[in-house]
Amino acid sequence: MPNSVGKRFKPTKYIPVSTAATLLVGSTTLFFVFTCPWLTKAISPAVLLYNGIVFLFVLANFSMATFMDPGVFPRADEDEDKDDDFRAPLYKNVEIKGIQVRMKWCATCHFYRPPRCSHCSVCDNCVEEFDHHCPWVNNCIGRRNYRYFFLFLLSLSVHMVGVFSFGLLFVLHHLETLSALHTTVTLVVMCVTGLFFIPVMGLTGFHMVLVTRGRTTNEQVTGKFRGGVNPFTRGCCGNVKHVLCSPLAARYITDPRKKLPITLNPPFLRPDLSYRHVRVKVSDNGIHSSILQSKSKTSLDGVDDKSVDTQPPLPPKADRYNQLKSQLTSSEGNSLSGKPTSPSTPAMYKYRPYFGTMPKVHYHVTGEKIVMSENGKPSAVLEERGHDYRSEPNLDMPDYRSAPLHRTYQSSPFQLDSFSTTSRLFSLKQAVNGADQMPLGVSKPETVTSTPHKGVFSPGMLSGRNSSLSYDSLLTHSVTPSVGECAAHPGVPSMGFHSPYLPTKMCHVRGPELQRHIGPPSYSPVHVGVMYGRQSPLSRDRDPSPVRYDNLSKTIMASIQERKELEEREKLMHRHAQAYANDSGVFDTCSGAAYGLPRGTGSREPTPPVCGSRDNLMGVGVVGYAPRTPVLHSSASSLSRAPRTSTTSLHTDAGGVSRTAERQYRSPVRQTHHSPTAVPRSPTYTHQKVTFISALERADSPHLGTREDLCQGKVNGQLKGQARDCHLGTPSGTPSRHANVKKVTGVGGTTYEISV
Amino acid sequence: MATEFHNLQELHHSASLATKVFIQRDYRDGTICKFQTKFPTELDSRIEKSLFEETLKTLNCYYAETEKIGGQSYLEGCLACATAYIIFLCMETPYEKILKKISMYIQEHNEKIYAPRGLLLTDPIERGMRVIEISIFEDSGSTSSSGSSPSSSTAQ
Repeated sequence: MPNSVGKRFKPTKYIPVSTAATLLVGSTTLFFVFTCPWLTKAISPAVLLYNGIVFLFVLANFSMATFMDPGVFPRADEDEDKDDDFRAPLYKNVEIKGIQVRMKWCATCHFYRPPRCSHCSVCDNCVEEFDHHCPWVNNCIGRRNYRYFFLFLLSLSVHMVGVFSFGLLFVLHHLETLSALHTTVTLVVMCVTGLFFIPVMGLTGFHMVLVTRGRTTNEQVTGKFRGGVNPFTRGCCGNVKHVLCSPLAARYITDPRKKLPITLNPPFLRPDLSYRHVRVKVSDNGIHSSILQSKSKTSLDGVDDKSVDTQPPLPPKADRYNQLKSQLTSSEGNSLSGKPTSPSTPAMYKYRPYFGTMPKVHYHVTGEKIVMSENGKPSAVLEERGHDYRSEPNLDMPDYRSAPLHRTYQSSPFQLDSFSTTSRLFSLKQAVNGADQMPLGVSKPETVTSTPHKGVFSPGMLSGRNSSLSYDSLLTHSVTPSVGECAAHPGVPSMGFHSPYLPTKMCHVRGPELQRHIGPPSYSPVHVGVMYGRQSPLSRDRDPSPVRYDNLSKTIMASIQERKELEEREKLMHRHAQAYANDSGVFDTCSGAAYGLPRGTGSREPTPPVCGSRDNLMGVGVVGYAPRTPVLHSSASSLSRAPRTSTTSLHTDAGGVSRTAERQYRSPVRQTHHSPTAVPRSPTYTHQKVTFISALERADSPHLGTREDLCQGKVNGQLKGQARDCHLGTPSGTPSRHANVKKVTGVGGTTYEISV
Repeated sequence: MATEFHNLQELHHSASLATKVFIQRDYRDGTICKFQTKFPTELDSRIEKSLFEETLKTLNCYYAETEKIGGQSYLEGCLACATAYIIFLCMETPYEKILKKISMYIQEHNEKIYAPRGLLLTDPIERGMRVIEISIFEDSGSTSSSGSSPSSSTAQ
């Protein structure tokens, strides 16, 4: 039998369908030839017609059940499954009509199987609304062809009943000539029919019950809804209607259609300001953002001392804010990220002399759509806001308020709202309450007040304003966890602080409170937090800021700690990259000392890695899989990085160490648990381990059912599984990823790409 | 999709694929074809929420129409049975007709709305109706380090 690269040709799988077809067609043909002529004569031609139609119906449904695509899902693109990586659980819960249904990850098809979908091992495909794989038609029965299968069963039952009955009638009329050919053949046909009567009728009855209950064979046999409620049922009538009358669905596996190419012409439009966005236009005397940027740097010096003295917690927070702010702007496509994130001072202090007019802040608030001009100014503005943040407590600089700046920028709705809010508040404050702790001596508040404002500014904000700005408020302000990284600056002052350039951070952190004050919440801190959280990987590239953790919440501290560890780890990795040409040396210095493990010299063989440049993390995936250990040992041996060799050390311990390592860095999203081991760990290598912990943890989950389990035992899948364990993206079987980019998984669950 | 992507790359070198957002199916009402209308955060700075939601609502309506059991589906079934399913070889099913409409709708919206914003919608039928894939392109001429890292591409 010929063996092709793809599917092997197995003639044995065609035996049942051939038998069924032969029996069906053969028996019916014999019936028509030997029995029907007499019946037509003796009874009526209608017998022939009836049998003919029924047989035709049987054949048609049989053909449809055999040749129709049951609803095969095409394999998922790589880009799609990279989100659902190793750390994702094997099951994903989804609520269907109030009932929790599990969606299982399909390792072959690389997606979470939709509800009622199952993977057919015979066809090696995920099939929608999978019923069963029928050997008699040599096809899966799924959403698209279940009706035809059911009708085939029904019609076959009817046909068999008809053939048996008419045959019996014939035989009863020809009892005296039982040895005659016609009678013999009729008897044989009757026997065949009678023989298959029980199984076919039994199956038909079974499927009739399934149809009325709205279940698939798979669900019935696996007992999914035993004693429970079937969320997919539509009632008896509805279920029958759905099976018999629903329109024929389209195939998913189609030929690629020739599509008209769509031209993408950058620069791309950015969205008009929606209700979530507020455009703040600060008019100045023509001096633009560049000045702001330069000023922001120079202004740091003079005010630094002052701000440091009076507001010790500020510098770290502002700094962190700058990082986040830079992330934000970079995410918006601006080049702000280049700005230094050293503790900054309000640029306002230096801005003042340059601008003689009051900044005219125009607030186009929620609900108004304004086309925003795409320019680089937002970066400057944001930067300035960062500085403003630092200037929070030092509001004895009234002049800076009078710096008119024409700046149009769009930031998150959160930012702008707060910006406009604070500006507005500032002006209002000037008008209303001059005795506030915020000596914002604006000389021309009317420019601000005259601008239209809706929604963002409400009297409630004024009341919020009136709370005093002090370090207590800065220090003790509780940060919502949802703000994510924004929470690094917990001490956001109340709305009493009125800088026209209220830092985004403050606004974000103040989100929950602001929303209480402001009528229509025009922004959500969660959103911003999410945005910031998303940008956390970018913060790695920033200079380490002297963040102080005095008053940061535990969550923030943990995330900051993780980031620091990641940064240190990466530094180590880069340093080790050049230093280590020989794994053994690395192993000695790094892993052995760290773990005190006996170094098995024979544990590493100098064989080429299994998967190209991704072998560094390959070894990690081995830990959890004993069968693969020898294979990956070879790959691990050629690793040239400290972390890898240290992983190898874990490797030699047959995964025992990995357990400990994993536990220390268990990410909250991981569902793995680890057996305790007593391997001592050097704290210095914990950072290195961070990368591999995630992979190790993933590897260490055979009994918990993470997705790597599914890769065991498969030749191709083994490589794939390894690659997945290491979160490398593509194994040798999928060469679309760049070979010189390594993905490293951090503890926090983020993935970093490091160029190798 | 791959073909489309290559066409785009060839056509305009300064636009590069940054990331992809996946709109998952909404299974709350069962297995009917319906996509989540939740606005992904990655698109927040790329397209107006209203436009996006309108697109999704229209798509959901189209898909609901395909699965409607009514007069047309009865007729289709009876006709198919009567002709021993030969009718499927000759005619296009109503489902396929609506899918064509959807495909044209997506193509049109891509040209008019999404491509100018550096986005591209992929017809979900190409993904087995499991996800709507939205490719986010960045202007590689800009100096932005946008969220092109895989970690930032989250479906929701």
